Amino acid sequence: MSPGATQGQLLEALTRVSDLSDSLDYTVMARGVCKDYRMGSETIHALQGVDADIVTGEYISIMGPSGSGKTTFFNVVGGLVKPTKGSVYIDEIDIAQLDAGELAWLRCRKIGYIFQSYNIVKAMSALENVTLPMLFAGVPPEEAQDRAVDILKRVGLGDRLLHTPKELSGGQQQRVAIARAFANQPAIILADEPTANLDFRTGEEIIGLMKEMNRERGVTVICSTHDHKMLDISDRILWMEDGWVKKMARRDEVDIQIGAMAEEDGGAQQ
Amino acid sequence: MAHSAWEKKRLHLKPALVWSIALNSLRLRIGRTLLTLLTVAASCSFVIFLLTTPPTSEQEKEKWALMLVLSLVVSLAGVLNTMLMSVTQRYREIGTIKCLGALDSFVLLSVIVEAAMVGLTGAAGGVLIGLLLSLLMGLWEYGTAFWSGGGWIGLWWKVSLTLFVGFFLTTFGASIPAWIAARMPPVEAMRGEK
Repeated sequence: MSPGATQGQLLEALTRVSDLSDSLDYTVMARGVCKDYRMGSETIHALQGVDADIVTGEYISIMGPSGSGKTTFFNVVGGLVKPTKGSVYIDEIDIAQLDAGELAWLRCRKIGYIFQSYNIVKAMSALENVTLPMLFAGVPPEEAQDRAVDILKRVGLGDRLLHTPKELSGGQQQRVAIARAFANQPAIILADEPTANLDFRTGEEIIGLMKEMNRERGVTVICSTHDHKMLDISDRILWMEDGWVKKMARRDEVDIQIGAMAEEDGGAQQ
Repeated sequence: MAHSAWEKKRLHLKPALVWSIALNSLRLRIGRTLLTLLTVAASCSFVIFLLTTPPTSEQEKEKWALMLVLSLVVSLAGVLNTMLMSVTQRYREIGTIKCLGALDSFVLLSVIVEAAMVGLTGAAGGVLIGLLLSLLMGLWEYGTAFWSGGGWIGLWWKVSLTLFVGFFLTTFGASIPAWIAARMPPVEAMRGEK
């Protein structure tokens, strides 16, 4: 602000700042999340107190070596496993407090899942796969079908509507999974290594598609990955190691620091 | 803010959806469906055949009773095994549809409805086959005197009992693994363990 700014300009600037902080809605807040697994007589501490705030509409990549707790974190945020300690808030609701019925509602309406191995229901066509979550959500069948056709066209499968998974390539199955995940207009998309089973080019296409959908629909995307192609399109990167968040950084910061992180002398934990 | 839209939300089960998913699943897994049908039909035809060809002498009575018990045990083992296999093969799918928002009751119900359809169809087919065999054998052995033999007395009762046996075995056989799968956390079900 220049010294000659009028009072009006100052007020306007202040309003803008307060608008900005108001608009910073957190879709996901994790507080001290721990998860232990028992493996025989041993207890494995998969997560050891993870804190993370994820802003609505962000595209977050979770990176880290295998065994670092990425998938466990993903499952806890998705309401697929209960944390041993700590809480996960989705739209300010502690999901540990939800009963089975409410959890099913959360999975259906608030979260869209994309898996490494696609997990398309084999006994159903692409169209039926995408229609199913809408039917669970109570959308009338005709409307659900129309919406499923639209979204399948959007992901480039307009000519594959009635094909079953057997008749679709890996990339196409992952597109069906993306369409299915976005079907109920969820608040969060959780993608667990969505490109791990795909070749380089197809992986790139899938990443591009997820980013476009994230932009178009303002859906928060949380994606665990080994894939460095993902870095370029992420808003922030959450780096996990040994069940901790070692680092959480904006993409422009990571471009400079990625070498340093690989050398294991990464900066202060956020 | 977003949480104002939150309150307590639940999903409601639509019977038509359960029905259509069960039918669809049967149609698309036609090989498995036919195998289950065959097992149920064979078991039920065995049961109704024995019921309609009662022993003619005191000596035969014990043998007949033993056969009847055996037929039930064989049916139970065969049908339970087929149903267990068919549901455990679907753990992954069950985990997936739970991630899409399916309730435990939906999973359970859709598997049971599917099993009941196969059970009743198989049992009906088995009853027809068993009765036909019993009729042919009766006529072959006793000619028209067969009608006064008493095997077909109380036929409706015997048919109903056999249908119930087929229905019960399939739904019971399916509901145990379906219950286990439905109660499993979705991630574990998707790993397909247990």
